[in-house]
Amino acid sequence: MGELQENLKVALVGNPNSGKSSLFNILTGLRQSVSNFPGVTVDKKVGSAILSDKSKVTLIDLPGLYSLHPNSRDEKLVVNILTDQKGEYFPDLVIYVADATNLERHLLLATQIVDLKIPMIFVLNMIDILEEKNQKIEPEYLSKYLDVPVIQISGRKSKNIDTLKSLIKDYQTKGSADFLSSKQLYAIPKTLEGLTFDIAQNLNVKNPYLSKIFSHHFDWLNHFSEDEKEKINSIATKHEFDNIKNQLDETMSRYNEFGPIARKVVTRETNAPSTITDKIDSIITHRILGPILFFAIMLFVFQAIYSWSEAPMDWIEQFFAFSGNAVRNIMPEGWYTDLIVDGIIAGLGGILIFIPQITILFLLISILEETGYMSRAVFMFDGLMQKFGLNGRSIVSLVSSGACAIPAIMATRTISSWKERLNTILVSPLISCSARIPVYAVLIAFVVPKDQTFGIFNLQGLAFMGLYLLGIAGALAAALVFKYALKVENDNSYLMIELPQYKPPIWKNAILNVKEKVTTFIVEAGKVILVISILLWFLASYGPSSAMKQAELSAIEHIETNNLTEIEGENYLAGKKIEASFAGHLGKFIEPAIKPLGFDWKIGIALITSFAAREVFVGTMATIYSVGSADDEATVSARMAAEINPQTGEKVYNPATSLSLLIFYVFAMQCMSTLAVVRRETNSWKWPAIQFFFMGAMAYFGSLITYQLLS
Amino acid sequence: MEGKSVFDLEVGEIGYVKTFNNLDCACKLLTLGILPKSKVKVVRKSPFGDAIYLQLDGHKIAIRNSEGKAILIED
Repeated sequence: MGELQENLKVALVGNPNSGKSSLFNILTGLRQSVSNFPGVTVDKKVGSAILSDKSKVTLIDLPGLYSLHPNSRDEKLVVNILTDQKGEYFPDLVIYVADATNLERHLLLATQIVDLKIPMIFVLNMIDILEEKNQKIEPEYLSKYLDVPVIQISGRKSKNIDTLKSLIKDYQTKGSADFLSSKQLYAIPKTLEGLTFDIAQNLNVKNPYLSKIFSHHFDWLNHFSEDEKEKINSIATKHEFDNIKNQLDETMSRYNEFGPIARKVVTRETNAPSTITDKIDSIITHRILGPILFFAIMLFVFQAIYSWSEAPMDWIEQFFAFSGNAVRNIMPEGWYTDLIVDGIIAGLGGILIFIPQITILFLLISILEETGYMSRAVFMFDGLMQKFGLNGRSIVSLVSSGACAIPAIMATRTISSWKERLNTILVSPLISCSARIPVYAVLIAFVVPKDQTFGIFNLQGLAFMGLYLLGIAGALAAALVFKYALKVENDNSYLMIELPQYKPPIWKNAILNVKEKVTTFIVEAGKVILVISILLWFLASYGPSSAMKQAELSAIEHIETNNLTEIEGENYLAGKKIEASFAGHLGKFIEPAIKPLGFDWKIGIALITSFAAREVFVGTMATIYSVGSADDEATVSARMAAEINPQTGEKVYNPATSLSLLIFYVFAMQCMSTLAVVRRETNSWKWPAIQFFFMGAMAYFGSLITYQLLS
Repeated sequence: MEGKSVFDLEVGEIGYVKTFNNLDCACKLLTLGILPKSKVKVVRKSPFGDAIYLQLDGHKIAIRNSEGKAILIED
């Protein structure tokens, strides 16, 4: 070849916990982006790696898998990509990442990919751990066996990364010859030769192992037409192909071949002393201490969200108050200044203030995942989860739902039973997500006094935790109902999970992860909030002209007869105007339905807009009360606190109404993005519709009971 | 009787895998590194006694009791 290959596509492949994603972060740094593979919500992480001579290659981080005979949806996607030679993502070169400390098991997939005849660099990762133990590594046995280049690196210590880059460079300049194994590591058994021959003939496949993979998995491989599937099916039937037995035979035969090689490459310690992981696990997964620690960690997370975020939240609040005033002082008076100050700045400020809390939550959850704690939680709670019709892996989704239901619902793909997975998808959004934080934070202040403590705990923090517990209880109760109500067969239910070594979190990974999620939150939520804030500002500022005029006249009359001061008068007028506006009409329209819950028409407006996304609540409140008030200094919560019900003369946000509203937000399905993801994951509108209505019913009746009991 | 399975092992006891009595389970167990002749040690049971924490050569996995019953061990 000799010529430089532009746009080289390099894929990172390996088992889960091989350190693949850290290597991806090291190679691409910040030059990476995350999106979805077309048609499926599997994270597609693509970046560019810069080689020694400044040339770039495209790097794709594929989801981790153990074998080309996969179980879960993420794994199937990888098999789809690696067996579709004409596909958009088919790699020119695979960087296979293996954990050198546990080489044997990581070799299965590597030998399968070698047999697919895809050029490969085999990376022995985590050699720093072996070196610390003075263990000898002899990679030449492996490179001889696989017939591809093998290099030793340490992702954690960024060791030998340059060697890896120069190997990629070699591929770019010299071509694939050195990277393509001449070996067939698994000899197709004689009994299958007729089958692979027929498939090779009919579908023009040259590689017999690829033909074998096709006969195993054609029914879900998406690069086949129905016609081709039918062909393979009839060939398989003709040869009486036993799918499961042949998977077993292949796996066993491969292990028998590479087992001795693996033991030559890394000499195993016999009678390894008990490791730090063992010691930690004897406490963390202890029968009694384990669950207690789990709840202690959760309690710590919620306390941290509250107490660590106070100072930065104050700064952001001051910044937006300052900006609003500055704009008002600089710009001439007029509708556009009102729009910027009352619509945009008030709306955005209302949401951006929650960045500190959301960042802390995402950071702590990503640390729990990085260290390996989450799989221990899966082990401890699998049995309990099964009682609720869920799977141990559901705990990962339920905990991540505390950040956002969308990644949580995507995480259910590791659950192989469709019934357990569907149940997890349906109930996960009941766990309070970060978008509820703004709503809770504003409303808790009206129920629980600030700065009060109960022992070492902040009382508001405890109330916050109470709402989370309510969400969890709601989710489990709903799951229990679905366990019996869902008429779906519960097959393919497994635990079988690896418990990786505990590792200190790699801060770079954690920070990149948090940065990506917080940015997505701000951009996605920001877009919705901006549009809704502007729309609301319009709806709250304008109305049917006759009604607006009428309201103004009667308000002026009222002010004159009651001799109100200037500020009182302005507030009264503004209040009357918003009542006559379009938004006011909308809120009044739904008021009869929500009155039994203790809500007035202003809350009604917020409820309507919140169906786009919950966090819009605070923005809506900010817009409504800014428009309705002459005072620009006070914060949203201060304005809400001052709100008086004109009929009863009592505060609108009394404990009963505030608690009822909180309960509503705990249960209601107010997130369009989640519904969209549920549709995509379940491939039907039926499940998001069911989810919307059962959560809506829980919210309405929950609030109704709360308000009627308290008032 | 099919003989002793991983489920029958006491906490702390070691066994050697003989075979599997459920093909579907076997496929998945193999990819996780549980093979005939593998050494398995039951490290502990889960808090509610429904799952088993296993130490294999070089790594650890968790399986359900029912999955443990599918792994038959040498007497």
